[in-house]
Amino acid sequence: MNILLVEDDVALANALVKTLTHEGFVVNHLKHGQQAINVVKTEPTDIVILDLGLPDMDGLDVLKAIRGHTAELPVLILTARSSVNDKVSGLDLGADDYLAKPFEVDELLARLRVFERRSSSSKHAGLHIGEVVLDTACYSLTVANEAVDISRREFTLLKALMENAGRVLTRESLESKLYSWGDEVASNTIEVHIHHLRKKLPKGFIKTLRGVGYIVKPV
Amino acid sequence: MRSIRTFLLLTLLATITAVTFLSLLLGYRSSLAKTDALFDERLKNLASIIVHANHDLTPRVEKTLDLKPSVFFQIWSHDGVLIARSGNAPEQQMFNRQLSEGFHDANYADFRWRTYVLQDMLFKRWVVTGERIDLRYEIADKIVLSAIKPTVMAIPLAAFIIWLTVGFGLKPLRELTTQLANKKADDLSAILIKQQPKELEPLRITTNDLLQRLNDAFVREQQFSADAAHELRTPISALKVQLHNLMSTKDIADGDLEPLREGVERMGHVIEQILSLYQHSPDQAAQQMERLNLTGIAKMVIANEYMRFESKQQRISLNAEPVCLIKGNEFALESLLQNLVLNANKYTPAKGVISVNIKSKENTVMLCVEDSGPGIAEEDRARVFERFYRVGGDRHASGILGCGLGLAIVKHISTFHGAKVGLAVSAELGGLKVTVEFPAI
Repeated sequence: MNILLVEDDVALANALVKTLTHEGFVVNHLKHGQQAINVVKTEPTDIVILDLGLPDMDGLDVLKAIRGHTAELPVLILTARSSVNDKVSGLDLGADDYLAKPFEVDELLARLRVFERRSSSSKHAGLHIGEVVLDTACYSLTVANEAVDISRREFTLLKALMENAGRVLTRESLESKLYSWGDEVASNTIEVHIHHLRKKLPKGFIKTLRGVGYIVKPV
Repeated sequence: MRSIRTFLLLTLLATITAVTFLSLLLGYRSSLAKTDALFDERLKNLASIIVHANHDLTPRVEKTLDLKPSVFFQIWSHDGVLIARSGNAPEQQMFNRQLSEGFHDANYADFRWRTYVLQDMLFKRWVVTGERIDLRYEIADKIVLSAIKPTVMAIPLAAFIIWLTVGFGLKPLRELTTQLANKKADDLSAILIKQQPKELEPLRITTNDLLQRLNDAFVREQQFSADAAHELRTPISALKVQLHNLMSTKDIADGDLEPLREGVERMGHVIEQILSLYQHSPDQAAQQMERLNLTGIAKMVIANEYMRFESKQQRISLNAEPVCLIKGNEFALESLLQNLVLNANKYTPAKGVISVNIKSKENTVMLCVEDSGPGIAEEDRARVFERFYRVGGDRHASGILGCGLGLAIVKHISTFHGAKVGLAVSAELGGLKVTVEFPAI
């Protein structure tokens, strides 16, 4: 995984490069927005970690430029600004995630893993958590090396939960993945699908957070 | 303390009374002189009328019927015989010496008399007219008194009118004091007075100027705190990452790094809390108020903080209607919920239970966060909303990381959302129960 880190604070950048390298990522660090835009166009890059307060230009403009070039590249905004407006405009401009400073390193790593899993599932490499393997190429589920039948909707739900392993997904966000706008959703549909899924998965694989949503924990 | 109204009333009344009596005294004296001259003139006229009208030289007494005139007359011959007199006149000479023309005062029969003597050369006789001086004064007093009476009676009326007008005149001052007295501690808005009098204008301007400067100072202080905290976010992040790196190296025992980790954690926490306390200024937030679903925000906050509950093996649940609309600032409400939920997380022991409830009532939306922790003793409940106050002081019994700003932030945000915060004992879980009652829309 090639990460492009765009951050002007040297102390933070150096520490992050060390952490991410230690975690097995290949990190390319830049201080300026313009350099970042050029690198994205020329070098192979899998994830961009972007600080908003850059010396030469606003991070959001860098994001715009990146999105002008490619819609696929995941961008994680990392910033000291934390107002809702900043967050909303960042996500509106096509950022995939937003993390406010000061962040927990584990949180950053968890979010990078989500990108990683998404990218591997889109490359038909499948999702692995413990003995559960979700093959995103042929829509099949294997638990402890045994194939298990899974419906299309159950597959979509499980894929979302496994891609976001370690994060709670609210019922609303799961519904939005299953149904398009305007579809009538019965109030307990998600519960029913989760109920069926649980029978097919190891005990405690999907945890319920009562009133909030569901979570799959990465091993 | 002296009241301006009473002071003005008393001094004005004293002045009016003094001036009135002084002028009455002077008036009395000049009236006396005037009446004296008038009465003297009467005696003189009477004498000359008698001289011209009476030519009869036979001695007699003039009966004055039932009338009791204050004046009398005597007619003496040059050789000292009393020719005629009025009924009220003495029979003797009132003087010990020879009569001479002009006015004379005399003591006779226990009274003081004023007399006029006129010589009639034709009939060789003296005509004496006179009256008792005390009677004269009695009349003069009556005249003066009747002039004084209305003036004296007008003084209470004047007092009443002064009382009213002074009160009316002081109305703007009262309005100013009421406005200042009713100002809430954090209200630094300018004062406005209807029908502003000229004299109060400088006071109002200085007061408003003072309030403005105070407000500016507060805003600067808040802005400074927010800016400082903001600037510290990146270095704190760097510290955290460096610490993480240190902890992943094998040659340092984790125990050695734990105090360092706690220190960095604590510093980061205080900075975030200061930021969330100061970046939600009521004015700013009021501009960004919108219709929000409190349930949605609660879900998001709990989902984001889930790992903290997981690591303490606590059970957290949300019991809420899917949609509970309130008018609010999203960022501020996130901060409020985060503080409540994380407080519960911190102070509830491992394996404890936390429950978040949101209920729509008739006019309110009730947010309620309960836990199975130790709760807050009744005597501490009022103080925990103060900034930097922690139960038990710095040596917080729980030994839990905190800076004493959480509930101050909750209170601050609730206040500008028009919400009421309450603390109680959770009937269900036995720990603390925090309620925040928002007005519904």
